[in-house]
Amino acid sequence: MKKKSSIIKISIIGVITIIGLILSFCTFHIGLTTFKSFSSAIKLGLDLKGGVYAVYEMDSAEDTTNLSSRMAGTRTRLENLLTKKGYTEATVVREGTTRLRVEVPDVDDPGNIFDIIGKPAELKFVLNKADGTTEEVLTGKNVLSAEATYDAQNNNGYVVMLSLDNAGTEAFSKATSENIGQTMSIISTVDGDETVISSPKIEVAITNGQAIINGMEDLTAAQNLADQITSGQFEVKLSLLESSTVSPTLGEKALLYGVIAGIVGLVLVMAFLIWRYRMLGVVASMALLLYAALMLLFLAILPWVQLTLPGIAGIILSIGMAVDANVIIYERIKDEYRNGKSMLAASHAGFKKATKAIIDSNVTTIIAGVVLWIFGTGSIRGFALTLLVGILLSLFSAMFITRKLVKYFMTLLPESPKAFSLVRGKDYEQKAEELADSQTEMPIETVEVPQGEVAHENI
Amino acid sequence: MKISNLMNKDFKLVEKKKIWYLIPACIVAAAIVAMIIFGCVTGSPLNLGMDFTGGYTVNVKLSTKLTAATYNSYKDEIVEVIENLTDENGKPYGIKVSAVQSQGSNEDASIYVKYKAVASDEVMEDINTAVQEALQDKIFKIVPVITSENGTNYQVDYVNFPLVNSTYEAKVKEIQALATANGITANGFSLDDTGKIVTFDVSAANETFGTALAETVTISDKYSGQAQKGDIISATVSGELLTNALLAICLSIVLMLVYIAFRFEVSSGVSAIVALLHDIFIMFSFMAIFHIEINSTFIAALITILGYSINNTIIVFDRIRENVKSLYYKNSTATFIANQSIKETLVRSLNTSITTLITIAMVAIIGVPSIRVFALPIIVGLLAGTFSSIFISPSVWALWKDRKKKSPRPDHHEKKVKEGKAAVA
Repeated sequence: MKKKSSIIKISIIGVITIIGLILSFCTFHIGLTTFKSFSSAIKLGLDLKGGVYAVYEMDSAEDTTNLSSRMAGTRTRLENLLTKKGYTEATVVREGTTRLRVEVPDVDDPGNIFDIIGKPAELKFVLNKADGTTEEVLTGKNVLSAEATYDAQNNNGYVVMLSLDNAGTEAFSKATSENIGQTMSIISTVDGDETVISSPKIEVAITNGQAIINGMEDLTAAQNLADQITSGQFEVKLSLLESSTVSPTLGEKALLYGVIAGIVGLVLVMAFLIWRYRMLGVVASMALLLYAALMLLFLAILPWVQLTLPGIAGIILSIGMAVDANVIIYERIKDEYRNGKSMLAASHAGFKKATKAIIDSNVTTIIAGVVLWIFGTGSIRGFALTLLVGILLSLFSAMFITRKLVKYFMTLLPESPKAFSLVRGKDYEQKAEELADSQTEMPIETVEVPQGEVAHENI
Repeated sequence: MKISNLMNKDFKLVEKKKIWYLIPACIVAAAIVAMIIFGCVTGSPLNLGMDFTGGYTVNVKLSTKLTAATYNSYKDEIVEVIENLTDENGKPYGIKVSAVQSQGSNEDASIYVKYKAVASDEVMEDINTAVQEALQDKIFKIVPVITSENGTNYQVDYVNFPLVNSTYEAKVKEIQALATANGITANGFSLDDTGKIVTFDVSAANETFGTALAETVTISDKYSGQAQKGDIISATVSGELLTNALLAICLSIVLMLVYIAFRFEVSSGVSAIVALLHDIFIMFSFMAIFHIEINSTFIAALITILGYSINNTIIVFDRIRENVKSLYYKNSTATFIANQSIKETLVRSLNTSITTLITIAMVAIIGVPSIRVFALPIIVGLLAGTFSSIFISPSVWALWKDRKKKSPRPDHHEKKVKEGKAAVA
């Protein structure tokens, strides 16, 4: 009965793996809807797929003091904006002294680049004084950050929250405290067109340096304005010089060879595992295939991932790394069996003891991944995410899939330790013979010297 | 291959630590020498790629439409012209094209070429002009096939090169001028849908016109003098990205140290970090000694090794942690425990390294050159990581531990302990 249920469970995991692999590589058309395969849904970087580029030039009217550092500042802001939008593989480079060239991967229409970067908006807060005159209180330069949120507290709906710098806070506080009852217009200028976003009445003096623009239609509108304000704060005024599509630097051949390398690598690793660990190797191979399918699924659905060629190499490498945990567990099981435990007991103890080492080694890697994800910018961030996904999935596949599969397979073949590449240690065999000679029954578990058992269980 | 036989041998790895420390020291020393030599000869100790150094670009606008077929021939020709460019004395400038991309499509397509600076900015000014002129001067003739049934209706077929509108219009004007010069008129011009075949009629058959036409319709310069002068571009990897990456790497090393110190001991943490730094230094040394171009992919390679190399080390330390607590080793020196632990974990250290090496080696063997640049430092890092987790970090740990012990236990005691262990193992 136990055997039967093991066969069923192994088959279920096998079928899931096969379905996962089919979904990874085959695109289906069911009716009018298309189910993209995981691998084709993964966004690709500039080197493999190209994208769009835009060259911005500084307005000639702009003064040129400190130009170099201001251009560098603008570049950083653009880079951060693109990373925030999930385009970790986008590049921003300076061309000549007054131009910035932006390249964004995996976008087909050059017009879309503006959806991503946003047309820079200049922001003005203009006070409408009681005597009919107006006074400019703030500009976008006084804004440290602009964020879109839902203001449930004051029943304002969707708003853009602005944090002001010191000068801005002071001016804003002075203007609002002296002009209670008047209105303040918030004006944004895009491409020379002025739009009054709103003209709220000043009810109370705002002294904390937090200004709110309310009256946003929905979150998207609020987010767009926030982005426009952010890009409007660029240290230099930019205007678009040219934009178009750009071809990949490496092309299809590079991608094809990368995929071939991955498949060959996978097959060789599986062959190695089966050669070294027999049935245990088969288990690891199944877990590995499931890991590969899951990895592709996550890469397809996670933002921030645009696969470049090194990214693909990294994924292939992660296949090799994913089996490490299996190797560590199997060596432990072999140790335990060598020292006299029964097959199932050895597998149980092996998993238990290996867990600690596997957790410790993976947590250190996770630490590195998380730190790089939080503090890294651009491609570093994307790479760190890929690394993290790889580690978590390999932990899942080793700690859960492999563990279950080993149990089922051992239930299936309880009398053949050789099939699992398990052998008794020499010392154990001598002992067993001696014991057999003296006609004593040998309970498997008690062969180990008690002292050793105590030492092991203490860990 | 009987790895299991190794298990029964008594190797004293930790005692030979001087040899193990000497190997990486020699490699790093060689790297420093190489960097000094390269620094003196070429002016750059490390071969930094365009991602870090920036460089120059030239944009080649075309007089024919860009298709997949013409792109490849253009690309090869442009790369050849730029890389074989020589100064007045025939000495090559040694420019290496680092990337070629096509921009836009059809009418306004251009080819965007990036190359690394080979001299100072002032000299590069001249070199860029030379690049521009070379691209313009180099004549790549397109000779079309001219057919005419009765001398009055002509068909000019540019075969593989679809014309852009400006070129077509220019050619129409030239043909009309030629006809006028011969006392006839040419009209009814049309360009077919593919953009490759021009058809027109002339008022009367004219032999001189027919002969001269061949020269007129030939496009003498595919680039039509539209190569734009090379302009400087900044590094793709901005200073900020690099600083952030380095800071993040340092921070993660510190946090790893804290975690290992917390889960194991401070001594283990320090030894593991020593091993990690060893791996990173070896990777740098490899790039320095062979003067391999370092691009942003190298940062990715460093991060990969940073995450991976610590794993093997921890497996050894996990066994050390277990053995230290074990009653068998209650009175043993750290050196003895370290040796025992290395021995017990050797097979899995090798097997885990082999599986990882298989995959990355496949990438290096099968992949295109640009992926090899990523794979090679990883392979070096993996080998260094395996080496350091077996030979470096346990012995650093033992050195730290045994130094604190006032009187190490005599050897004969260890032997006894070992025999005891052997009896049960």
